[in-house]
Amino acid sequence: MSKWRNFTVAMIFLLPAILSVVVLRLWPALLALHQSLLAPRASVYSFDNYTYIFTDPVFLNSVWITLLYSIIVNPLQIAISLGLALLMNNKLPMTGFWRSVVLLPVAIPQSVSAVVWAVAFRPDGLLNSLLAVFGIGPQRYITSPDQALGSIILVVSWIGVGYWMTMLIAGLQDIPKSLYEAVTIDGANAWQRFRYVTLPQLRRPLTFVLVADTVANFLVFAPVNILTNGGPEGSTDLIMNEIYTSAFINGDPGSASAATIVLVVLVLVIVLIQFRMMSDRSER
Amino acid sequence: MQRIGKGAGLAGLAAVFLMSAAGFAFADPVTVNFLTAEKPETFATAIAQFEKENPNIKINFETVPFDSMVPTIEARIGGHDSSIDVFLVDTPRVPAMANSGYLAKINDEWDKVKAVANEEAQGVLTYKGDLYALPFWTSTQLMYYNKDLFDKAGVPYPSPEEKDRMTYEETIDIAKKVMKGSGAKWGFIPEQIDRYYQLQPIFQGAGGGTGLTGPDNLTPDVTNEGWLKGAKFYASLFADNIAPRGITDDQMSSTFTSGQDVFYIGGPWQFTAFNATKGLHYGVAPVPYWKEGKPQTPTDSWGVSISPYAAHPDEAKKWAEYITLNPEGAGLVVKANPIIPVNKEAYGPYIDWIAGLDPKVGPDAKKIMTYELADTAVSRPRSIGYVAFETVMNKAFSDIRNGSDVESTLKQAQQQLTSQLRRIQ
Repeated sequence: MSKWRNFTVAMIFLLPAILSVVVLRLWPALLALHQSLLAPRASVYSFDNYTYIFTDPVFLNSVWITLLYSIIVNPLQIAISLGLALLMNNKLPMTGFWRSVVLLPVAIPQSVSAVVWAVAFRPDGLLNSLLAVFGIGPQRYITSPDQALGSIILVVSWIGVGYWMTMLIAGLQDIPKSLYEAVTIDGANAWQRFRYVTLPQLRRPLTFVLVADTVANFLVFAPVNILTNGGPEGSTDLIMNEIYTSAFINGDPGSASAATIVLVVLVLVIVLIQFRMMSDRSER
Repeated sequence: MQRIGKGAGLAGLAAVFLMSAAGFAFADPVTVNFLTAEKPETFATAIAQFEKENPNIKINFETVPFDSMVPTIEARIGGHDSSIDVFLVDTPRVPAMANSGYLAKINDEWDKVKAVANEEAQGVLTYKGDLYALPFWTSTQLMYYNKDLFDKAGVPYPSPEEKDRMTYEETIDIAKKVMKGSGAKWGFIPEQIDRYYQLQPIFQGAGGGTGLTGPDNLTPDVTNEGWLKGAKFYASLFADNIAPRGITDDQMSSTFTSGQDVFYIGGPWQFTAFNATKGLHYGVAPVPYWKEGKPQTPTDSWGVSISPYAAHPDEAKKWAEYITLNPEGAGLVVKANPIIPVNKEAYGPYIDWIAGLDPKVGPDAKKIMTYELADTAVSRPRSIGYVAFETVMNKAFSDIRNGSDVESTLKQAQQQLTSQLRRIQ
């Protein structure tokens, strides 16, 4: 009886969370799966939408661009965040101020950041004026197929690194000082202290940052939509932008849902690989 | 017992509260949600006047950026959301939206529409013979030019007369001359850069057609000689630094008001902003044409549609009628934003008001607009695939502007459209 009562109480407390997961996550996911199997004007399930997107050069390009973008942006953001976290973790003068400065862009909505950067990227904008000070000629940034993806990476990293840095600082502060003292007595230099104490001790927060950052970067949309709309020549057409275009501009929910399912599968596979790579072999 | 008493007391209080809330609700006016891509001030006076005449209706004005209009309708009306009652719809999109079930049929309005709009204006509001929108605005384009830059370069002003309309080649030659003589930054700016609406005459006027052919306009045709010629011309504007890359359409008018442009192709909606700019001396001329083709100008604009899922369809229709069919309401809106009303009764006072805005420019503007609307206006193709067509082509224009190879960009657009339009058929 008491067990049953405990279960009921637990369920009452859990109900809001379970309901939210079902209504906000599982139900839309099932709906997307259902729509992805319904071809335009069809009433029976088929793989027509999947056949269509996998023969559509625009979608295939968006998968390629998303993978290319992920391979560059994730290591880059994590390296910068880790570097900044190490720097801010030292007793620098005005550390609090510098941390706030780096974290500040997170508090600005992505769309606002994109609009601000759009002005900076203009041919007569701030960035080209800055380059001119150093005698460098004007660059085309978001209007050049060779520089546009790099420009998007710059914007999302400007927004994101402060956030990931904060997570890593928390991880760094959890590392017992005694470990550093021990290796220092053993004669370890700065690199050895980082390689054999900091990195292994940061494994858990780093895994979280790696996984969360990867997922966040797969879902980047606002900066692409506002700055380039996927162009020039599809060079910044990340899957999310392609899904948005199919669903809300071309009115093709079938192919948009199929693309969403492909994106979810892609993210799941990559995250699983990351978990496997970051897991402690002794814990397996 | 005490608990029951407390409970009953609370229930009684709640009942009183609910009843009073219901009482207030009955006294409240009905709120009609109106979605647009316009500035609030465009409709502020008309809304105030309408609400004064209809105290039981309140208009809730909502606005989104122009490029977000289709996604907003797709997401909200496509999701059967009743929170939009009435909205503006770009008339070439009527077939696609009606076909998707996003617009309510309003065939009972036919007689009233026929009384205020001419036949061409009626045609763009229909799909398969049914009426889906009320006639609101139409449009044309003028070629604005900066008089100070011409004076500085010692080049005579272009003529406002139709018989003296310049070709694209002549216009660019003059633009280059004035740029050289005056130090102007840009020579020839299409206001709605990278948009089919503005660029259609460059391709169609070169003999390329609208870009859509075949039954129901569902076959793309954007790789023919005419399209190639138009696209090469468009590419040359940016390659030769006659027009800028990397500036969005909403920032474009500031290049003219800051005195950087020789020619600026834009709609009459710029008159109030240009007139309000101190130190800007400008004139108007007809937009250029291709020597071997006929002059063509963009046309059409928003219509007003009712959502099939509107919470208050009758009140929504009343408001829609006020700003479209009622010359007073239509006039109040164009006074705040000088776009051409389709309403025949509102057009007369509008064009005279435009003529009187600035004695130096007004009469020329009236002459050009009257001529273009009657003789050179070319509508965008009517097709359920228009939205997809416009989306793909606008991206292609943007790529061409950014220096992509013209021929391969058009070929890619053709392939993409072929596969997308096949799914729509």
